[in-house]
Amino acid sequence: MGHSHSEPHISPLSLYFTVFSCLIVLTFVTVGVSELGLPSTLSIIVAMAVALVKATLVATWFMHLIHDTKLNIALFLASLWFMGIFFIFTTFDMASRGNVMKMSDTFEFRQKRADDNVRAGNVVVPEGIVDPEHSTGH
Amino acid sequence: MSSENANQKHYHAFFFHTMDQQNSSHKLGMWAFLAQELLFFSGLFMAYIAMRYFYPDTFGEVQTRNLLSIPMGFTNTIVLLTSSLTMALAVREAQLIPVEENEESKKHRKRLIQLLVVTAALACVFLVIKYFEYSHKLHVGTLPGKFYHFAEWPIFTDTDGSILGAIRPDGSIDVTSAPHIFFSLYFVATGTHGLHVVIGVGVILWLALRAKRGEFNAEYHSAVENVGLYWHLVDLIWIFLFPLMYLVK
Repeated sequence: MGHSHSEPHISPLSLYFTVFSCLIVLTFVTVGVSELGLPSTLSIIVAMAVALVKATLVATWFMHLIHDTKLNIALFLASLWFMGIFFIFTTFDMASRGNVMKMSDTFEFRQKRADDNVRAGNVVVPEGIVDPEHSTGH
Repeated sequence: MSSENANQKHYHAFFFHTMDQQNSSHKLGMWAFLAQELLFFSGLFMAYIAMRYFYPDTFGEVQTRNLLSIPMGFTNTIVLLTSSLTMALAVREAQLIPVEENEESKKHRKRLIQLLVVTAALACVFLVIKYFEYSHKLHVGTLPGKFYHFAEWPIFTDTDGSILGAIRPDGSIDVTSAPHIFFSLYFVATGTHGLHVVIGVGVILWLALRAKRGEFNAEYHSAVENVGLYWHLVDLIWIFLFPLMYLVK
């Protein structure tokens, strides 16, 4: 005896197999949902929600965060926090680019250049091109 | 025998006062590294968000053209999740090895080695499947950036070398489709993840060798625990990469 708090917590085997089963079921769910043909935004939300649940299961039980020290948990959450800042602020930047961007960097400009090339007859449609609308896939 | 046991009970480094202090320091260091890994990968995920923002049609078209094999990605997900389970069980076996050498410690040590070898083997299965996916892409020409030459979904390059967009069958140009950038992102993201898997195989086999030498027991196994944490993180990254690359439209 006489061990301090950092004595490892030994989880029962059944716990590992339960978590593993949940992860497998959720993998089937995420692939199944993608077959439904949901609209783009909804399919992203569902896929990321399922992935977040899976990630939480792995971090909490496989990585033993639930029995870990407050310091280690704080370190992990801090990295997620800074990740959030990075994603949100960079997205703000992208969303407001139209206000400051040089004309030569805009999609309109590229579209114009593309159309000029089409009119000049520079675009060669190569052999073997597949129209995705009529493609049956491999 | 007794001197060997006496040694085993005190293998914390001279700059630590107790085993507890050493173990918690090892773990704190590992979590700092993992936090860094998450931030490192977040750059790739941000590139993905930017790609969706600037070329929104590309992902849907990758789906309708069936350019990534969902069965292969799905199999790899199952393989990686299973290897995460065997790694977690390996850590558990290490926790159960008594400090005193006896039949019990031999039994758990043997299981620890077996589970580590199975984990490394599953990681190799993941890499073999990845190899087949990559070689198919190299074959048909869906390479990253300027090396892209896929005839089924061609891109138009202007005289100054800049790529203006994808060519449609009617001869017009779609400036919101960028398959060459999609495959740059695909190869860099899955390649960086794959590199982590390769490193994982190395460190897991190194653990198996150390376990065979009888180095780990309930008191001293922070290396097993930390490699386990690393391996679960590799799994965690794939949990997000798989739906984002293979499934989402």
